[in-house]
Amino acid sequence: MNRRDVIKNVALMLGGAFSAPTLMAMNHWESPTKSYPSVATFNLTQTQRNIVAEIAELILPKTTAPNDASPGAKDVGVPAFIEMMMKDCYLQPEQMSFIEGLEKMEQVKFLELNDNERKGILKYLEQETKAEMKARQMKQTKMGDNDDHEDIKKVAKGLPFWRLIKELTLLGYFTSEEGIKASFEYVQIPGKVENIKLKPNQKSYAY
Amino acid sequence: MYLNIKATKNNTFDAIVVGSGMTGGFAAKELTEKGLNVLMIERGREIKHPQDYDTAMKQPWEVKHRGKVTAHSAEELWANKRFGNLANDESGPFFTNDKDNPYIEKRPFDWIRAYHTGGKSMHWGRQSYRFNKEDFEANAKEGIGIDWPIRYDDLAPWYTYVEKFVGVSGQKEGLDVLPDGHFLPAMPLFAPEVHFKKMMLEKFNRPVTVGRVANLSQPQEWHTKLGRASCQYRNKCVRGCPYGAYYSSLSGAIPAANLTKRLSMLHDTIVAEILYDEQKQRATGVRVINQITNQVEEYFAKIIFLNAGAMNTAALMLNSKSNRFQNGLGNDSDQVGRNIMDHHLGVGATATVEGFLDDYVYGQRPNALYIPRFRNWGNDKQSYLRGFGYQGGASREGWSRGVNADGFGGDFKQSLTKPGQWTIGFGGFGEVLPNPENRMYLDPTRKDQWGVPMIVFDAAFGENEIAMRKDIMNSAMEMMDAAGFKNIAGYNRPEVHLGLGIHEMGTARMGRDAKTSVLNAFNQVHSVKNVFVTDGAAMTSSSCVNPSITYMALTARAADYAVKALKKREL
Repeated sequence: MNRRDVIKNVALMLGGAFSAPTLMAMNHWESPTKSYPSVATFNLTQTQRNIVAEIAELILPKTTAPNDASPGAKDVGVPAFIEMMMKDCYLQPEQMSFIEGLEKMEQVKFLELNDNERKGILKYLEQETKAEMKARQMKQTKMGDNDDHEDIKKVAKGLPFWRLIKELTLLGYFTSEEGIKASFEYVQIPGKVENIKLKPNQKSYAY
Repeated sequence: MYLNIKATKNNTFDAIVVGSGMTGGFAAKELTEKGLNVLMIERGREIKHPQDYDTAMKQPWEVKHRGKVTAHSAEELWANKRFGNLANDESGPFFTNDKDNPYIEKRPFDWIRAYHTGGKSMHWGRQSYRFNKEDFEANAKEGIGIDWPIRYDDLAPWYTYVEKFVGVSGQKEGLDVLPDGHFLPAMPLFAPEVHFKKMMLEKFNRPVTVGRVANLSQPQEWHTKLGRASCQYRNKCVRGCPYGAYYSSLSGAIPAANLTKRLSMLHDTIVAEILYDEQKQRATGVRVINQITNQVEEYFAKIIFLNAGAMNTAALMLNSKSNRFQNGLGNDSDQVGRNIMDHHLGVGATATVEGFLDDYVYGQRPNALYIPRFRNWGNDKQSYLRGFGYQGGASREGWSRGVNADGFGGDFKQSLTKPGQWTIGFGGFGEVLPNPENRMYLDPTRKDQWGVPMIVFDAAFGENEIAMRKDIMNSAMEMMDAAGFKNIAGYNRPEVHLGLGIHEMGTARMGRDAKTSVLNAFNQVHSVKNVFVTDGAAMTSSSCVNPSITYMALTARAADYAVKALKKREL
């Protein structure tokens, strides 16, 4: 899927129309970002922290409907969790990819966009990421068949920014105390294992 | 002089056991229970059961990296670098830092170690299957390696003995390929697995059973006596079980040995050499190095059990040189360090399961489904030798399905609070043939920080294993297709090396002939009768089933023999 297709798909999803700022943002999308030859220490600027927080909250927002009232990513400390995880658990390729993603967000002035425009950007990002992940997966499968050790090492490019921030948002939220208790039936000590029938609207167990 | 005699006396025991893991623990239990004063020597740090299982009761949000591996431990632990997310915040304390304990790879070898009380029994997969009759006879029939000096019937009573003590949950199936044992109640198969089992019988006449796992589904009196309680189905075994519900050397054998008050233990103590007396033609003791203080000391005993783990046991023998044994203790055959086997894994398939959307599971089963070997069995004949079993299972997707799915926002969040579709996956464990060219030896010059020669690995999978791997993947996909599963994806990880199965074995094999083997039918070193090797090093072939229960059965049998021989003054 090329960039034009991605935009077309996103436009369809959003009901066929892009706002002017979103389109402008997208035009900026592929202008070159500052290059980061190495990330000695992974540090975010305050603006970048704000962007992380806003994106995390868009992925898992606070909801207030009576049948679905639950905290949002910001409420349960996901933004700080994401930064800590990127620092502690990821190596340079992922850290670079994450910083590059944030830089793109800065370039498109993400924090100045309204809610709908931000969602449009994220939809775009999601489609772009999907294409990239698919390409990576195909490459990996192919390599698995060929037993080609050398090629595997060449996959030095980090996972895409959207994939990273989405995974860490979900992980941080659904393993936080408030996130678990609001989302699932939390059972610390099940005491048994058994087959059961699912009741209507039954939530997942978390352990 | 007086002081020396006193020191010798204080350092003298009936038996020395080197290693406190799966087989060292069992050897100590058997020997102490039979009346011997035993010194067990562990090279790593002390872990106390259960108070040192620091992460055991932590809630998800109390585990800092939530199951992910830090970049630091990914760098320092092979278990991560080579296995994936194995040594994280929860289980990391039970894996050894490889940077501090380096080894040399002439060809790549994945050596996962656990230097602490209990060794790898702390984080084993707990799958417990007997070898079958054929496993003991195939080498002789096919002209592979050498013949086992024992047969299934020699070991069967010891399997029962060990199964009773450790507690194995499993289902009797009456299969020749997977002999039944002494089982506690079986854990359930889940709805799609029950369907799968039925389809496999119908379409391929292949049996499927629930895993046989060393978790107490119903503790017996001899388990509770040691403080072991029923499995709580948290499936957090890797953290160490505060209930003692899964068997480890720490939860089972060591407490049993301690009850006799005849067990002494040393920690942080590396056994560098077995001392050999040329006149008496027997081993007299061991020379040890304290890993913290570097202090050297000697301990003495009538019999010595080597249970350091296959690679370290062989290294210890190779490092024990004397006039009589210039190539290492008991190494007249030049087989010490050779014939490294393991089980090859990292190959199988995954799929999604349509339907069963009313079916769900309460609790977490610390277990899997098991598909016993069906290749080169009965009428089946393949281009390669031996076979493999599969382990895996079905589960409903949780929130993590959202990571790769489209969407974000309130509805997306809400949708992830419900169980997703069923998925299924299973991977093979394949038999590895013995090959004397697959070996480890001591580097002539390079030494570790304690001055002990470093181990060099020179081993790789052969054509038989590589051919089998293709079949493992393709057969898994074929079986999933026959069961009606969708989105079937096979995998065959190319970066798997010998060792990754963490079932490394074969480096001091049992045999009938001292010219071609290291140990006799009772795990006794042919040429040094008071030294016994009962860890994975003793194995003559690997079968495709998880080996720990076999190691323990061999250990119990050898200990029985050793004590009887001692009493008859034959040792």
